[in-house]
Amino acid sequence: MNDVAPADRTPTSNPVLRRALTWGGLLAAVILVVSSVLGLIFAGVPGLVSALIGTVMAVVFMGITSASILLANRYANSDLFVGIFFGVVLGGWIVKFIVFIVLVVVLRGVDWLDPTVLFLSIVAGVLASLVVDVLVVAKSRLPYASDVELPKAPSED
Amino acid sequence: MDATTVLAEINGNIATVGYGLAAIGPAIGVGIVVGKTIEGVARQPELAGRLQVLMWIGIAFTEALAFIGIATYFIFTN
Repeated sequence: MNDVAPADRTPTSNPVLRRALTWGGLLAAVILVVSSVLGLIFAGVPGLVSALIGTVMAVVFMGITSASILLANRYANSDLFVGIFFGVVLGGWIVKFIVFIVLVVVLRGVDWLDPTVLFLSIVAGVLASLVVDVLVVAKSRLPYASDVELPKAPSED
Repeated sequence: MDATTVLAEINGNIATVGYGLAAIGPAIGVGIVVGKTIEGVARQPELAGRLQVLMWIGIAFTEALAFIGIATYFIFTN
C-alpha cells in the first residue's frame, strides 16, 4: 500500500457542460428579448408574459440535463459513482418531464397567457438550446485518453 | 347500429394519444442512449468524459422532440 492520495477521477466533460450552460444562458437572454418583443407586438401583454414563460421553461428544462451531469460528476471519486451518476441524470430527467407536463396542464387554462405565443417560444427556446449544445460540442476539445491518470510533479506544499 | 359506433368509438380529444407517443418515443431514445453509454464506459472507463458529452448531446436531441410534442397541448384545442 502506498500513501499517495487517490487521483481525482472527475471526468473531463465538466468544462464542456459548464460552457454549454453559460452560452445557453446568454443565448436564452437574447431569445427572451426577441420573443417578448414579438409576443408584445402580436398578442399584447398576454403575449409578452407567454413569451417570457415559454422561453424560460424551454431553456431551464433543456439545461437541467447538463446541470444534472455536472452535479453527478461531483461524486466521481465515490465507489458508487456509476449508480449515482445514472440515478441523478435519469432521475433528474423523469422529474423534469413530470414537472413540465404538470406546468403545461396548469398553464393551459389560464386566460392571461396566449397559447400560440407560449408554444412558439417554447419551440424557439428548445431549438436555440440545441444550437448552443451542438456548437459547444463541436468546438470542444476533449482528449481521447481523457481520464488517464498521469504522474504529477511533486509539489512544494 | 353503426359498426363504427360499436367497435371504434372515440370520445374526447384524439390529440391525447399524441402526448403518449411524445412520451414513449423519447423514453425509448434516452434508454438506448444511456444504455449504450453504460456499455461504452464499461468497456473503456478512461473515455467516460467523452462519452458523457456524447450522451448529453444525444439526450438533448431526443428530449427536444418530447418537449415540442408535449407543448403542442397548448395549440391543439377541442
